[in-house]
Amino acid sequence: MATQSIWAQYSADKAYDEMIAAGGKPRDACASLSQYLQSLGMDAIKGRLSAAEAAIMEMGITFTVYSDEGNIDRAWPFDIIPRLIDFQEWQVVEAGLKQRLKALNCFIDDVYNDQQIIKDGLVPADLIASSSNFRKECLGMKPKFGSWANICGSDLVRAGDGELYVLEDNLRVPSGVSYMIENRVITKRIFPELLENLNILPVDDYPTQLFEMLASLAPEADDTPQIAVLTPGIYNSAYFEHAFLAQQMGAELVEGGDLLVKDDDCVYMRTIKGLEKVDVIYRRIDDLFLDPEVFHKDSVLGVKGLMRAWKAGNVALANAPGAGVADDKVVYAYVPEMIRYYLNEQPILPNVPTYLCSDAEQCAYVLAHLPELVVKPANESGGYGMLVGPHATQKEIKQFHKLIQDNPRNYIAQPALALSTCPTLCTDKLEPRHIDLRPFILQGQNSFVTAGGLTRVALRAGSLIVNSSQGGGSKDTWIINREQ
Amino acid sequence: MLSRSAERLYWMARYLERTENTARLISATMHLIYDLPYGVELGWRNLLNICGVEEAFYQRFKNPSEQNTTRFLLADMSNPGSLLASLAAARENIRTSRELMPDEAWQQVNEMYLYAHNNLDSLSNRRGRAVYLQEIMAGCQRFTGFMAGAMSRSDSARFICIGRNLERADMTSRIMDFGTVLLAENRSTKMREYETILWLNVLKSLSAVLMYRKHVRNRIKGTDVLNYLLKNPDFPRSVLHCLDEIVHCIKHLPNAAELNPHLEQVELHLLAIDIQQTSPEQLHEVLDGLQTQFDGLHRQIAATWFLKNLEG
Repeated sequence: MATQSIWAQYSADKAYDEMIAAGGKPRDACASLSQYLQSLGMDAIKGRLSAAEAAIMEMGITFTVYSDEGNIDRAWPFDIIPRLIDFQEWQVVEAGLKQRLKALNCFIDDVYNDQQIIKDGLVPADLIASSSNFRKECLGMKPKFGSWANICGSDLVRAGDGELYVLEDNLRVPSGVSYMIENRVITKRIFPELLENLNILPVDDYPTQLFEMLASLAPEADDTPQIAVLTPGIYNSAYFEHAFLAQQMGAELVEGGDLLVKDDDCVYMRTIKGLEKVDVIYRRIDDLFLDPEVFHKDSVLGVKGLMRAWKAGNVALANAPGAGVADDKVVYAYVPEMIRYYLNEQPILPNVPTYLCSDAEQCAYVLAHLPELVVKPANESGGYGMLVGPHATQKEIKQFHKLIQDNPRNYIAQPALALSTCPTLCTDKLEPRHIDLRPFILQGQNSFVTAGGLTRVALRAGSLIVNSSQGGGSKDTWIINREQ
Repeated sequence: MLSRSAERLYWMARYLERTENTARLISATMHLIYDLPYGVELGWRNLLNICGVEEAFYQRFKNPSEQNTTRFLLADMSNPGSLLASLAAARENIRTSRELMPDEAWQQVNEMYLYAHNNLDSLSNRRGRAVYLQEIMAGCQRFTGFMAGAMSRSDSARFICIGRNLERADMTSRIMDFGTVLLAENRSTKMREYETILWLNVLKSLSAVLMYRKHVRNRIKGTDVLNYLLKNPDFPRSVLHCLDEIVHCIKHLPNAAELNPHLEQVELHLLAIDIQQTSPEQLHEVLDGLQTQFDGLHRQIAATWFLKNLEG
């Protein structure tokens, strides 16, 4: 019996496909992978899937979802078919991401100090004042290296024209990097022969880079600063990642109750020896829960006096409080301007065209074109509170019409991009599914970008929502170098 | 080291040791009961007594049959001391202490838990149960072995060692409670006939047969066995040895001086027990007293090193 090609029924014509070009031929960077999958055949591929699922269970890679029955740890949804990006292209993306974060940090530093960009009329003053992530408590602060957002997760999408666009920058507590690392561990287990023959950039140096970046933030030059990862606790959906990163860095994993700030405005942790000073905190708690003395009075997650200690310069917080001011989808629209303004450079990576509803003219356009647009609230994350025009019902469109009119500042709109697709294992064949990419960028004394990042995939046919809390999965991402 | 972490590691070790001990105890009891003729006054009920769960058991079941007892002791999540509940608690503690141990530590316990959870069906028959218990005991030993080879002898390791030995001493003293039945003046002739086998099984539940034979070099006798399990300084599961391990670990921890009087008191209490002079009726009380001492030691440890809910 002749075996049918696994690609015979694969139709890559609905959007830009990462692996298969128009006409059904694999793209250059993907030739080996597509051939290899073909040589395996469907049954063997499914066998590798079972191996991956067993590995995920054993390694206990989970994320927590909230439901009526309480919190459940779910196995990490992983698609075994990797997503490939050519190294040549990646070098450009890497430079673009570093450039972007540098400009964003200049902006945040400016916002909390001279506000020169507002005085120069590039950004409207009320944009800052009305941002729900602006923290007046941070005015006048000067974190080391002018770096407020030390860890950034930027979401990239490839549109129909084959270009990569930046969709948003997550500057508060971006998550997903642990899954990027674990995905590679799983791939090594299930496709060892493939990794042996291709030159793929490793991803597992991230914890080392993160550690060095955090150490560079220590208030006093010290060879061995005490570094802690501050987690909201074991019920947080990203607890797995907090524990993973602490473990990989050899840092302490602490909860609010483990820390206290004394009269000397220093942060201490409660240890078996007594109190020990903490120099750097990688906090995975939102600003508003950090310190009940300053923000939410009833927060039990945070530490009383933490802001006091930070302002006195006795502890470094990463990301710095208030960094989220640039994690606003309205501010996002100004990033290309910021790059020109602060760095005197041309932006390397393009933004997705963005309509600001705060602008009357643009708002009118948005209201008239809702069925074609994607509308996002300015300050939400996790894919919540969005309208995907082309997939929306009349009722939803009406509802957003009103929401936008009531509070235009809170909304932006973008053209509905035809996100690129990637072959994904669906029951018993490969089908195209929409994907995005979240690389992680570090900025302390130096900048660093992960080799690739976390590719998220919308597992439902046609869906554009890649968030794991809403039925998304992930893929290993290979930056493949074909020279050598 | 964080107080919170110390507490989690301590409990992780206690729960894992409890998991292993429960598996050992049930495995040994299964062997014992297969050997005994019908009608001997020793059965699954004694096991409930040793584990201190008789009352909880009778709230749920009427008959201490093999099925009911083993299910309650192995798989019942409403019994916090059951093997599965202990293993789940150990897993939760290790899941939340991953930053303190090598990766494989978590993976081993997680795998063991998944095995225990996914194979509950096999507990209903004797053969399946034997395989299940074997797998759990081997899993616990793999973990202990891995840690011995990969974990620095740091404070983390010390809290694990303290937890393990406290739990171990507790279980050994509970197993010694078999003596109150086996040595009872009014025990049946049948029981007397099977005496050697019975004591052999008590030793077997602690993997102590060979070490005991090499040490005692005499016919197996009840009081000798009890004395060995209580005071042999070299056997890893004897109460005295466990206490020595605990003392050794505690001495290397910060702020340990406060515990000295307490440690001395436990040791004096232990050494003052004279099995030859203890009647079977008194034995239970004596062992109870010993368990109370260890319980006090636990509270002292918690007060010295674990997280307190204090301000400032």
